[in-house]
Amino acid sequence: MSQQEQVAGRLQQSLPVLATLALGLWIAYASFSVDDPQPYLFPQLISVAMILLSVSALVRAIRGANRTGVGIPLDLLLRIAPGIAVMLAYVLVLAPQLGFYTGSAVGFLTLYSLYDPKPHLSIRTWAMRIAVTVGFMLVIYLVFALALQVQTPRGLFL
Amino acid sequence: MEFLQHFGPVFTLTSMAILCGGTIGGLLLGATPGLSPTMAVALLIPFTFHMTPVHGLMLLGAAYTATVAGGAISAILLKIPGAPANIATALDGNAMAKKGEGARALQICFISSFIGGVIGILVLIFLTPVLAQWALGFGPSHMFWIAILGVTIIGSLDSKSVVKGLLAGAVGLWIAMIGYDSIQGVERFIFSEHLEGGVHIIAALIGLFAIPQIIEMLEGGRINRQYEIVKVQPHSIVAAFRETLSKTRAAIIGSVVGVIVGLIPGAGGQIAGLVSYDQARRFSPNGDKFGTGESEGVVAAETANNAMVGPSLVPLLTLSVPGSPTAAVLLGGLLIHGIFPGPNLFEKHADVAWAFINSLLVGQFLMLVFGLYIAGLAAHVVRIPPPILASGILVLSVFGAYSVQSSYSDVVVMLTLGLGMYFLSKYGFSPAPLVLGVILGPIAESNYVQGQIIAEAGDGMFAYFFTGALNLFLIGLVVASIVYSVISEIRIRRLQPRVGVSS
Repeated sequence: MSQQEQVAGRLQQSLPVLATLALGLWIAYASFSVDDPQPYLFPQLISVAMILLSVSALVRAIRGANRTGVGIPLDLLLRIAPGIAVMLAYVLVLAPQLGFYTGSAVGFLTLYSLYDPKPHLSIRTWAMRIAVTVGFMLVIYLVFALALQVQTPRGLFL
Repeated sequence: MEFLQHFGPVFTLTSMAILCGGTIGGLLLGATPGLSPTMAVALLIPFTFHMTPVHGLMLLGAAYTATVAGGAISAILLKIPGAPANIATALDGNAMAKKGEGARALQICFISSFIGGVIGILVLIFLTPVLAQWALGFGPSHMFWIAILGVTIIGSLDSKSVVKGLLAGAVGLWIAMIGYDSIQGVERFIFSEHLEGGVHIIAALIGLFAIPQIIEMLEGGRINRQYEIVKVQPHSIVAAFRETLSKTRAAIIGSVVGVIVGLIPGAGGQIAGLVSYDQARRFSPNGDKFGTGESEGVVAAETANNAMVGPSLVPLLTLSVPGSPTAAVLLGGLLIHGIFPGPNLFEKHADVAWAFINSLLVGQFLMLVFGLYIAGLAAHVVRIPPPILASGILVLSVFGAYSVQSSYSDVVVMLTLGLGMYFLSKYGFSPAPLVLGVILGPIAESNYVQGQIIAEAGDGMFAYFFTGALNLFLIGLVVASIVYSVISEIRIRRLQPRVGVSS
């Protein structure tokens, strides 16, 4: 491994630990700066533990002694990014706007189609994808709407 | 023999239907590569919300035991363990299947799972009340240290890095503090409208265990994955029974190792299976044949990982300390039904506790019957393409998180926690300590506050929390769990080259 790769690796390992350190410092600030400390006694303990552990992990990351986890290489990030985008769109936009069941069907079909290795231009492939989506959503509807009687939020559709 | 009086609720029509459904579903879910038992149980919890506590716990217990056994199906037929607990099973099981003995391997596997499972549950039945009786004298300081012990044990033993494991546990404890303080009703750490109701345990469980696995399924991109499934030839079940029962040595080793590993919080089925397999190989005259399709290897691995299930629930039911990540999820399931496991469990909820334990025993018989007959069907389930699985689990996760409180905020919190956990897991953080922090946080805080009130009326905080034989014993266990893991980590590190990010 080259010097440059080692530095990049150490930097990457430091990022999540810096995030937990920042979180620990924020919790400490929020817990120690209140007028009535009683409800914040336990968070105070947690913040101290988080700061100490984060500093320890950060020192190890900088020294290159943190060898757990594979990190997130760019090619991996590019492969999972469309999937994460679909998840976010499904939860934040599709389900609230279109309705729980319609949004879920669109989310299911989009995620499935994006990662399905079969050719996108084949009618048979799309017929299969739509059939699987409809079948799955039918089961979900039977279980949640009819059996468990869960009331789901409606949007434009069901 | 109190447990014998509580078999009635297990043998009702509804209970048996739930147990059968949980067992069949668990076997199929366990057989599916990419679906861990922990995630399967986490996804099932929202369904139990609409059931009585007894029925809900029966479903979770049946699914837990069956997913561990079901993981062996893909281990044998595909050489892809359905769960880490089945790694050792794949070694000889798949070699047998490749020789055209797939049915024999599966039958031996389920019979061994049954033997190990029953022994494990018997240990649970006889050990749990004894330990619970002993723990009845625990006060707030002891319960505080037990909650901390739960986090440190899982944090240090279930993670590749002790510091990161403990850090994840601390983050989990903080997540549990979000919302309104239970004593004074003070608003704490609410920085988004979605957090006003706090972080619900079920949303956290589903998000932390299911979402990272969904993304992992997508990591390969649009790859056409072809599984080579070996054909399963018919084989006599009676002959399989005879053969398994003749492997007494491997079954005893597997059961003993499984029980011991199960009782150690945080150790898990993977360790049980591998240690038992290794010991059986050493003591067997056919040790040199292990790995080439020796049925003794399957017996040792499967008795061990199933014997681990019952004992892993002993610390959970008596002390609220889960023995494995799946037991941590079960703890969440108990809490949402208003059942607080611990020293008082067998006094306050004896009927629920015994019915649950007895259903685990009955579940072993169902697992044997269904396992022997649906293993062939499961071979088709394991072929479900990852994009369908990932999409299906995503929709189930969203519906599951929503259905518990009919709150869309739970869905947003679930996805946020899941995405965060995926990225953290790539840097060596494990979800189990984080989940345990979320679950045990309120228990630790309420006992800390109660202890503080008692301490202020007595000799002070230090005397109350840091003196007394039991406090010192528990603090010793906390320290020992961390020190042991640090030493293990240093040993492993010495064997590795110094790099920034590695596999």
